[in-house]
This record gives sequence, C-alpha cells and structure tokens, in this order.
Amino acid sequence: MRFSTLIVKNLFNRPMRSLLTVVGLAIGIGAVVALMGIAKGFERSFVALYESKGIDLVAVRGGISNQLSSNLDAALADRLRSIPGVSRVARSLVDTVAFEEANLVSVLINGWEPDGLLMGGLRVTEGRPLRMGDERTAMLGRVLAKNLGKTAGQTVDVAGEPFQVIGVFESPSLFEDGGLIVPLSTLQKLMGREGQVTAFLLAANRPEDSEAVGALGREIEAMIPGVAAVPARDYVERDLQIRLARAMAWTTSLIALVIGSVGILNTMATAVYERTGEIGVLRAIGWRRSRVLKLILGESLMLGVVGSIAGVALSFVGVRLLLLAPTARSFIDPNLPLGAVAGGLGLGLSLSLLGGLYPAIRAAAMDPTEALRHD
Amino acid sequence: MTSAAIGPILKATDLERIYPDGQVHALRGVSIELAHGESIAITGPSGCGKSTLLQILGGLDRPDRGEVSFRGESLQSMDLDRFRAREVGFVFQSFHLVGTLSAIENVQIPMFEGPWPRADRERRADRLLDEVGMGHRRAHRPSRLSVGERQRVAIARALANDPALLLADEPTGNLDSRNQADVLDLLDRLRKERGLSLLMVTHSAEVASSADREVRLRDGRLV
Repeated sequence: MRFSTLIVKNLFNRPMRSLLTVVGLAIGIGAVVALMGIAKGFERSFVALYESKGIDLVAVRGGISNQLSSNLDAALADRLRSIPGVSRVARSLVDTVAFEEANLVSVLINGWEPDGLLMGGLRVTEGRPLRMGDERTAMLGRVLAKNLGKTAGQTVDVAGEPFQVIGVFESPSLFEDGGLIVPLSTLQKLMGREGQVTAFLLAANRPEDSEAVGALGREIEAMIPGVAAVPARDYVERDLQIRLARAMAWTTSLIALVIGSVGILNTMATAVYERTGEIGVLRAIGWRRSRVLKLILGESLMLGVVGSIAGVALSFVGVRLLLLAPTARSFIDPNLPLGAVAGGLGLGLSLSLLGGLYPAIRAAAMDPTEALRHD
Repeated sequence: MTSAAIGPILKATDLERIYPDGQVHALRGVSIELAHGESIAITGPSGCGKSTLLQILGGLDRPDRGEVSFRGESLQSMDLDRFRAREVGFVFQSFHLVGTLSAIENVQIPMFEGPWPRADRERRADRLLDEVGMGHRRAHRPSRLSVGERQRVAIARALANDPALLLADEPTGNLDSRNQADVLDLLDRLRKERGLSLLMVTHSAEVASSADREVRLRDGRLV
C-alpha cells in the first residue's frame, strides 16, 4: 500500500465533508481564476490596442480618470506634430452607444481619421476600410458585427442615425472587436462635440527608448498645460477600468483565501478531532510525528488539488456562460491566460496547505497515551 | 552469545509515575524483568497502574523516576518512535484497527516506519495474515470481521516489523470465551515460533494462567 492510498482512503471515509470542502474551494478558486483572467484579458486587450498601432504616448486631459470623460481641442494636433521627437499624431474621439435591439448597452464608438495612425493593426475581413470623404459610414468590429447580425452593405442605427456598414474588421484588441469605427468628423457632429477629441495618440521617433518616450511625455505636458501625456503602457496601468478590474480580482482572491482556508481548516480540524484515537494508535505503533504531519497535510493537499482543478474547470465554464451575454463578448476574452490558471492552482494548493497546517501540527503534537484514552 | 542476549530483554528498575496533577501516584517503585521468550501477565484491580506500567515499558510514556532498559540499553537514550516501531508490537483491547482499510492494509500501516521496500509490504502482510489464520479475509474491512478475527488482524499488525517484544493490553477483554482461548493459543504459538517475549495486562485469571509468570500490582506496587 502506498502512503497516498492511505490519504485517499481517509478522504473517502468522509465523502460528503470532503466533497463540500472541495466544492467550497472550487467556487473560490473558480472565481479567482475567472476574475483574474478577465482582468488580465482587459489589460492585454488594452495593451494590444496601442502596440498594434505603434502608439507610444497617449495624451488626454490631465486629472481625468477615464478617457471617455477627456475633452481636448482637436486643433492641438498641429502643436503636437511640431514637437521634436513626435513622429505621428492621431486624433481620437471615443464615446459609447447602445444597441437596445441587440441588448448591447455600452458599445465603444471610435471617431478616427481614415488615413490616420489608428487604422493600423486592423484587418478588414469584409467590405472596405474607411476612406477620406466618408460620412455616415461605419466599420464594425468582428464581435459587434456578430452580435448585431450585420454584414458589409447593410445599414445600422447608431444613436438614432442610420449608418452604412462599409466593412467589418478584426483587431488584436477585444475592445475594438466589440466596437465600431466611424469618421472623426461624423462622430463629433453626432455627439455635439465639434472640434473636440478625447485623446491624441502619438508615435515617437525613438519608440524603443522608453526613457526618451517618458521624457517626451513630460515635455508635452510642460508645453501644453492641462494635457497629460503618458507612455501607452503606463496609461493602461493607470486606467480606471483596469484598476477596478484588478481590485475586484484581488478582493475576490482575498475573500476566497479566507473562505478556502477556513473551510479546509474546519474540515481537517474536525477530522483530526474525530480521529484522535486513531492518531494515538499510529503514534503508539511507532509512527513519527513527521509522518502524522505528512498524513494530515497530505489529506489537506489532496483536497486542495481536487478543489483547485475543479475550480479552474469551473472558471472556464463560468467565463463561457458569461459570454452568452452579447455585451460581455465585447470585453471578455474567452481564453483565460495561463498566468491566471497557474495563479489559481497555486493559490488553491497554498490555501490547502495553510488550512491543513494547524490541524496537522495539532495531530503530530498529540501525546499517544492521551490520544489512546480518547477512544 | 552477547551479554545483552543472556540478560533480560526488558528490565524496569524502581519505576515511579506521578501524573502531572500530582493526585495520582500510578507507580511506586516497580521493578520487573522480562526474559527472552518469556511471557508475563500483569494483573491487579482497576486503577492499580497496570496500563501505566505497560505504557512505560513500551516507550509510550516516561517514568518520573527509575529506568527501563531494552537489551541492556536505557530507553532514556533511545529514539522511542523507532523503538516502538521496530522492537515492540502493541495489541489493544479494542483492536484499534483503521475502519477504512482492509485487513491487509491495516497490517501494512506499521511497515511505513519499518525497513521494508514498498513492493515487499503487501507480500509480508499477506504472510502475516496467513500466520494468524486470516489470509482468507485479507480484503475485508474490520466492520466485516468478527471480534475474534479483528484481534487476529491486530496481532498480525503488531508483528508487522518483526518485533522482539509483544505488549498486550487486555488482549481478550472484548472477546467471548471461545475467541479468548483462540487468541491465547495464537499468542502462545507465535511467541514460541518467533521467540517473542510477551507482556500482557489482564483482569482475567484464565489469561494470567496462560503466561509463564504472573505479576500482581496493587496501588502502584508489586505485591
């Protein structure tokens, strides 16, 4: 008989309690993996959005927490272009619209210049890209086109106005895939924000030199009061949604940590109490304290392994269930990152060891004569 | 033959045991010797210190005064876990088998602390079960065995690491007279075949008469 056989048999001896502990841990780990994965996916999508277009700096109104609430004079683009070290400048107006008929309540609409830097990184899969002179035309992201059931050549109502779908595109960023692009001037009119943009996206002359990019940002901020020019990666890090998603994931992880540890602690402490006599016999027949410790920690770890694996499986199922909602498809990546899965598994195993530690130490410290009297 | 082999296998000198609350003076100057291959029955009324003596002799407890030596070496200087695992086989009144494990698995439990490679454990346990007449019940859990069969499995478990000493606390206390006789016969046969030394704690005059020698305790003293 292997030592592991003994561990498994002990767990099967109290199947309902073991099952409930595993389920509790699985729910905790599932929530952690799913939320961490979603938060990571957010970040990845955001970074991809800038990297694919070669954007090094994001210039928005200083002091705002969200790009949507930024408001800058579109004419500042010329001043920015004249700054040494700036290679290209793109103007961007971002807002949100709803497509009630498809149950989509908050879809990103991007107002871009057809020949601008921002069109880079997009792959037109159907129809054609925006062209200069286009007015009431829209390019739909792959996910949005699917959600709306629209193809190139059809018409779509955007904020109560009819737009012709001239193309469907695929982007490395899920945010863009779930949104639409219209000409900048058209969106400015539609939203009553003529002459305004939410951000300037800049490419630097020396993008590989992060120090130089940072210095360029500071130079822009000094030259144009009220503007915050932040390296793209830092901008993603500071984004409110990303920070919220991260905070949510970490908070959930902390709650899972507490619940999971307490669950395992309770299960193992009860098991040790119930098996006081048995542990006394094991010690009496020569089992060392370290072997008793290994037995209890092994049982705890086994619960952790099963709970963690079930939790990861649950997270995949949970994310797929979330994706049944069309709105979720535009910001949730169905492929959970490996880091989140590994983190969840690691957390589950750590929790199980942590939860099993006190009961294991208590079991190992038992005096065999006292333990034998317990029966 | 070494002097250790000639002398007693187990020797206790002037044992005193006072429980920590100071109220119970369980042993008062008990001295006892167990020769190689000898069997001794320790008898006496409840609370006279029989089980305490057995626990001290088996390395489960330490005396407050006095000394126990095994093959001439003091238990004080020994690794007691190793001593219990390799040199002593315990048999309990309530068998104390692990309910979730089969008979053959129960016999293998002490072997985790023995010198046996994993591949040998099952073979050894099989042989031991055959030796106590339980080979045909090897896959049964304790709940599917009669009380007499459970004690046989417990005896096989006590022999798992080939001990020199068998310590039995009321080994027939939960058995009817027929099973009692069977278990006593088994212990006697195993002792002779294996050259074991046997120390039994019992209330039963019949069990005591099966031993080579009877030692009586009263109020923590030999009488």
